[in-house]
Amino acid sequence: MQKVAIVGSGHMGQCHAAAYAHIPQADLVALVDSRPNALIQAGETFGAGAFTDFDKMMAVVNPDVIDICTPTPWHKDYVLRAAAAGKHVIVEKPMARTVEESREMIKTAENAGVKLKVAHVVRFFPEFAAAKAQVDAGAVGTPAVVRTSRGGNFPGASGNWYGDPNQSGGVVLDLIIHDFDWLRWVFGDVERVYAKGNISREFGCIDYALVTLRMKSGVIAHVEGTWANPGAFQTKFEITGDKGMLDFQSLTSSPLTIATKNTEGAKGGVAIPESPSGRNPYCLELQHFIDCIENDSKPLITAEDGVKAVEIAMAAIESIRTEKPVVLSGGKGVK
Amino acid sequence: MMAVRIGVLSFAHMHASSYMASVNQHPDAVLAGIADDNAERGKKAAESFQTKYFDSYEALLASDIDAVIIASENIHHRALTLAAAKAGKHVLCEKPLATTVEDGRAMIQACKDAGVQLMTAFPCRFSPAMVRLREAVQCGTIGEILAMKGTNQGLMPGGWFVELEKSGGGAVIDHTVHVTDLMRWVTGKEPVGVYAEISNRMNHEVYDDCGLLTITFDGGIFGTLDTSWSRPKTYPTWGNVTLEITGTEGVIAMDMFAQNIVQYDDEGNKVKWLNWGDNIDYGLINSFVTSVAEGNPVAITGEDGLAAVEVALAAYKSNERHVPVKLPL
Repeated sequence: MQKVAIVGSGHMGQCHAAAYAHIPQADLVALVDSRPNALIQAGETFGAGAFTDFDKMMAVVNPDVIDICTPTPWHKDYVLRAAAAGKHVIVEKPMARTVEESREMIKTAENAGVKLKVAHVVRFFPEFAAAKAQVDAGAVGTPAVVRTSRGGNFPGASGNWYGDPNQSGGVVLDLIIHDFDWLRWVFGDVERVYAKGNISREFGCIDYALVTLRMKSGVIAHVEGTWANPGAFQTKFEITGDKGMLDFQSLTSSPLTIATKNTEGAKGGVAIPESPSGRNPYCLELQHFIDCIENDSKPLITAEDGVKAVEIAMAAIESIRTEKPVVLSGGKGVK
Repeated sequence: MMAVRIGVLSFAHMHASSYMASVNQHPDAVLAGIADDNAERGKKAAESFQTKYFDSYEALLASDIDAVIIASENIHHRALTLAAAKAGKHVLCEKPLATTVEDGRAMIQACKDAGVQLMTAFPCRFSPAMVRLREAVQCGTIGEILAMKGTNQGLMPGGWFVELEKSGGGAVIDHTVHVTDLMRWVTGKEPVGVYAEISNRMNHEVYDDCGLLTITFDGGIFGTLDTSWSRPKTYPTWGNVTLEITGTEGVIAMDMFAQNIVQYDDEGNKVKWLNWGDNIDYGLINSFVTSVAEGNPVAITGEDGLAAVEVALAAYKSNERHVPVKLPL
């Protein structure tokens, strides 16, 4: 049994807290958040201790695993503190705001002899996992052009930290890092990145980016990330190859749509598509991490994978800034 | 109004078929004849569309036609346009307008010197969905434009399209120009830079069949365009033209050929999309015929055609050097 403490009780923290309830080998013992109001409510909901102070939590509950779901800029600090205390760590994506911070986190965890898991949950989404299996099985032959799309409205969060690119890295580092990691997983390492985006332009709560990746294999990939679409959140992928094509669109892949009359009495109603599944990706992901910690087994995604994803995102941000393609070099980071 | 008499120079491009049908359908136009350097193909087309076959381009150009539609292999657009201009005939030229900037400029100049009109065949401007998209953008429905995402993905067309000495390039020159033109048309901005990743991983031949372009427009709007011949043989139709525009106040997404009935065809062992949308080729022909008949400037000029060609040529250059290429070339 692993005693788990979650740091950060916002959207992701609560999402993870709900998932641990379904994991037999995990016992959620504490939630940590500097915002007492959000925290107490979350603590009650999940039946866990609520702490506004990390050190006090450590002293009181002495957890085995720290799951860090804070805004990105605090990831490194908490990973370092958890490692110093000899605790295993699960950290939300992106693992850090920079490649350098990410590497420092890995090194610290290694030196402390603790495990560091990076929560790239898209690898556990059934549709994305199925696509990987199909490509591996040759469903499209040799892959050629891949397109992904992800996004919806601008995300709301405490202090609007998503709206500050210095903290969140915008849509490129926070959102489409999901697709960067998945693309690397399926099609291998990235050689070159070219990107356009609004990260450096002042449009308030809007961010949008289009990124082109040239993989070392020769595959070319187009990644769209949007926090500028007032429609429903959606994901899409299209994988083309010399023997066929795989096409997925979340909005048309929903088996259920619930339409209701507008309660305000206006003429229109709302129709919300749903894709219910017995396989919750967050449960699958955290179950996997807990299994790896308990059995000392190799995870589906390594901390090194986490850095590589940050590296691609940072290259895209650099490309947006410099208006030039950025070449990635093996483990040496961004040129 | 006197009917506009139109001759067709070459039946090499498959669009000639739809253009000839549209001329026949048009109340103010007459399909006066076709000439083709492939006599067999030309005679067959003449028969299909109930028009006269001419033994040579010269003979057709010497007849009493007012205008020509050029549907030859890309590489011959220049020579045929110059010959038509010399004969005093207005020109509707298939896209891409030319395979080099020099050819495109020569065509524009020759038509100007001869006092004839040169129109580039961009029928997508006559799509009702595209017209509606442009109106919505222009009346500010989505605020200020930030970015555009387009695709013109298709089946590999084969034939002379993949013989580089006749086509001037593969998927990138074939499929860059339509959507680039739409992006110019909707924004009113000129492309100032192009970056491209191009490959041949679909067919593994000398010609390019995959392309991802990033186009920067004057003032900072950016767009990407997928030009790949990436539709599988089992795809329900020939391909697509899509354009999604993200603005400060919303998003407009167009899938130009989405007006379909889905057919599940056991005989052909295929699922097909049967399009019931308006015929945009007729819209193009109607615009050309009306301009010629009334002596008004054509809606889509040679300059428009050349601007789109330059983006494709810049894309090839960018892919060779792995750098963004500035426009105009």
